[in-house]
Amino acid sequence: MSHVRRSLLRLLSFFRSDRAEAELAREIQAHLQMLEDGFVAQGMNAENARRAARRAFGGVEQTKERQRDARSFRSLDYGWLDLKLGARMLVRYPGLTLVGVLGMAVAIAMAAGAFSMAAMLLDPVLPIDEGDRVVVLLNRDRATNRSEPRILHDFVTWRAELNAVQDVGAFRTLGRNLIADGRQPEMVRVTEMSAAGFRVARVPPLLGRHLIEHDEREEAPPVVVIGYDVWRNRFAGDAAIVGRPMLLGDTAHTIVGVMPQGFAFPVRDNIWVPLRTNASQYQRRQGPALTVFARLAPGETIESAQVELTIVGGRTAAAFPQTHEHLSPRVFPYPHPFSDMDDPESRLALHVTRFLVTLLLSVVCVNVAILVYARTATREGEIAMRTALGATRRRIVTQLFIEALVLSATAAMLGLAILTVALQQVDAALVQMGVPLPFWMQFDVSWTTLVYVAIFTVLGAAIVGVLPALKATGRRLQSGLQPLSAGGGARVRLGRTWTVLIVAQVAFAVALLPGAVFNAWASLRAGAADLGIPAEEFLTANLVLDRGSAPRTPDAGAAREFTARFAARQAELMARLRSDAAVSAATFGLALPGGEGTVWIEAEGVPMPAEPGDYSLGAGTNVGHMVWFNRVDAGFFSAFDVPVVAGRGFLAGDASPGASAIIVNQAFARRILGDRDVIGRQIRYVGRGGDTRADAVELGRWYEIVGVVGDFPSKLLQPGLSDAKLYHAAVPGQFHPAAVAVRVRGAGPGEFAGRLREITAAVDGNLQLRNLARLDEVLRAEQRMMRLVAAVLAILTVSVVLLSSAGIYALMSVTVSQRRKEIGIRAALGADPRRLITGIFSRALRQLAAGAALGVMAAAGIEGLTGGELMRGNGAVVLPIVVVVMLTVGLLAALGPARRGLRIDPTEALREQ
Amino acid sequence: MSSKDGQVELLQGTLDLIVLRALSTMGPLHAYALASRLAQVSDHPLSLNQGTLYPALVRLEQKGWIKGSWQKTESNRDAKYYAITKPGERELARQAERWRRLAGLVDKLLLES
Repeated sequence: MSHVRRSLLRLLSFFRSDRAEAELAREIQAHLQMLEDGFVAQGMNAENARRAARRAFGGVEQTKERQRDARSFRSLDYGWLDLKLGARMLVRYPGLTLVGVLGMAVAIAMAAGAFSMAAMLLDPVLPIDEGDRVVVLLNRDRATNRSEPRILHDFVTWRAELNAVQDVGAFRTLGRNLIADGRQPEMVRVTEMSAAGFRVARVPPLLGRHLIEHDEREEAPPVVVIGYDVWRNRFAGDAAIVGRPMLLGDTAHTIVGVMPQGFAFPVRDNIWVPLRTNASQYQRRQGPALTVFARLAPGETIESAQVELTIVGGRTAAAFPQTHEHLSPRVFPYPHPFSDMDDPESRLALHVTRFLVTLLLSVVCVNVAILVYARTATREGEIAMRTALGATRRRIVTQLFIEALVLSATAAMLGLAILTVALQQVDAALVQMGVPLPFWMQFDVSWTTLVYVAIFTVLGAAIVGVLPALKATGRRLQSGLQPLSAGGGARVRLGRTWTVLIVAQVAFAVALLPGAVFNAWASLRAGAADLGIPAEEFLTANLVLDRGSAPRTPDAGAAREFTARFAARQAELMARLRSDAAVSAATFGLALPGGEGTVWIEAEGVPMPAEPGDYSLGAGTNVGHMVWFNRVDAGFFSAFDVPVVAGRGFLAGDASPGASAIIVNQAFARRILGDRDVIGRQIRYVGRGGDTRADAVELGRWYEIVGVVGDFPSKLLQPGLSDAKLYHAAVPGQFHPAAVAVRVRGAGPGEFAGRLREITAAVDGNLQLRNLARLDEVLRAEQRMMRLVAAVLAILTVSVVLLSSAGIYALMSVTVSQRRKEIGIRAALGADPRRLITGIFSRALRQLAAGAALGVMAAAGIEGLTGGELMRGNGAVVLPIVVVVMLTVGLLAALGPARRGLRIDPTEALREQ
Repeated sequence: MSSKDGQVELLQGTLDLIVLRALSTMGPLHAYALASRLAQVSDHPLSLNQGTLYPALVRLEQKGWIKGSWQKTESNRDAKYYAITKPGERELARQAERWRRLAGLVDKLLLES
């Protein structure tokens, strides 16, 4: 108790030292006075009595010092002093501050970013009551190692038979037109969810009620629960909303409840309708794609639930071997499948990334440590002096540590600022690309990230400050005093250590920089590329005909009926748009310009490439010429002002099933056919990329080129991949969904978006425009991501170049500085300055060259390991540039100290010895 | 911890006990009177600087075992008088007991050998 009391008082005294100081002075003064009185009483004169009193008392200042030590926490005083000193050091060495802070800030931003990303993906916490007990049940196909989402039958079985989990429910997400009174129709994300979902989430409604089991019946009236934002924005927060109708597509739903703000279960949702599932309508492994969730029953664990699920799954597999032989049901923490983290390989990749980034941070710290060491070396005189005056080694190391802490803390703050901006950018880019994050994932700097950064700040300071300090204070310091008297100078001897560091530094830079430089440059080019078409005049969207809530029967007749209906609706929409005064052109295709899929082709009379194409394969073979594939409306090219440069454009009959006419772009004609005999040349498909629809391409059939069009859009989003394209003709209804592009006159596409929705809804309430956006925004969204990647790579590259250059510079100048006196003496003794310079430079060059050679070897190794991905064959250009830069920096660094060495006065040089 | 630090530690402990004991038997004293008392009990009056007391006094005061207040001396000078507190008395009893036991133990060991 008395210890606690004393510590508190000591702390208090630290902050209120003035009063205690005054009282101490007064007390000592009184004490001395009484001593003096005593001596006077013994017969001394006043002067002698005062001296005797002082002697009897002892050193007044020492007494005060000891009392202060006992009274307060002196280390706090020192700490404050060291902080001020550290801040002063930052200002006194601006170069070191700039390079060190920048380098560490970038590394800390990267490490913190990787950490929060990993935390977000690896250990996500569902922010609902006992969120860690919510699980996902899924079927994994062992044959393809993918999840099988069509699990309606299994869902019914699991719900009925599992005991280890309760509240088993399922959901799927659909797009629906939301049509509200007096407002433009809007495409919204609607979640069909079991009533169990609300029980799992354990969040009470703000108004009305949740969905209940009764709502799931076929004969029940359609109802909807809406989220807070929909309630506020669409219905102006109407308190009497419950019981009102809401039109989704062509079905009126009664609003039965409003959920509170922030509620977004199961993913990021705000409109919930009951999931009506009639398993008898579907075969096994048929029907809608569902996600099945549940809550672990009390006392159960993921493991015990997995055991039970495996038994149930085994029974199903035995009963239905044709469909379920390769399926194994699995249970995961709820967030895992959403971040692909049910896959052990992704988890491993993430761990490796985190490790590598942390490694990068330590490399950066070591680099900064070298710089700080070079500075510490120049301060050896100061350290020796302070040691002589009684400072302990611990005290000096603490001081240097706190100086480094000031540096690393500044870097940490800058790093967090960089990270915050970067995360905002990523978030904005994701929103623009229409990829909403699940509600439990947030791109922000969490407090765990802050703790992580704090730990790394201290660790970084330890590497940067303590290592050099220990090394600088560890040697015989008396020797450090000598040059102090003779004019100062760096005396820390390192020899071999410096050499190894220089070689390693250069090797590291040469090995890693070229890839980073090249990738940053490629991303930047892609991010800044001109689109080459008037994309800003176009509104684009995916046209979808909502099948409504009617069951999707796998009946060929119904499918034909649907296709015919969609064809009619699409044709009508196109006709209405073309007749609209504000529209200058309306066209459609399988994909928008820049969003094409890939195919591999064989061209008549052209040898096939030997190597398979490096792109995901959907069917056939990837040994062939890789080109981009699209099916387009006859007016497609003219709508985009793309000229037909040879042959003809599409005609009415080109879209009929037996037609074989195709049109290629100029890049195709040039790259694959060498611009010879393009028109009339035959090609056929040998493979289909994973991004091309299975029904879009017929493998093996020969087609004939009838025309050549200009290249568009001219974007370099995938540097290194082919920009050759080919087109087939298309008519409405040929594929669903269709990519629609509307070119708007005058006012600009933004204002026309509402009118476009109205026209579409007027054609059919179930006709939807998904991802409605201006074409340039669509294309720029990808470019924005590219620019972001480029920015990150550029910052990283610049900081590494800066750090490496600074590191090499510091290393070179310290080593040459060490030889300064030797150079001076040899010059004094008459050595030829040119020979001396050559001597210095040949040694520096040897070190630099050894590093460069090692680096080139490492770069070649990395290039081999990554299969040429990193530099894509540009190594021969980029590598020498980096080598030359590093050599120049190193030699420049040696130049200054060498010249100073030559200029040194011989007598001075001799005296220093 | 070095052996030198050990000596200081021992001295501090002893000093605390002596100060508490002096205040307990003689009533409130100022630092000068305490130092004189200390010189009295030790055989070498000049072996201890009077300033040595101050860290011990602030330590004891912060622990709540003694309490200082400014008063006038007989010669009408201002001085800070220290008085032992209730917790101080308890601590004195505890430390005295400890010392007696330790001294007894050391005595016994010395006699045996």
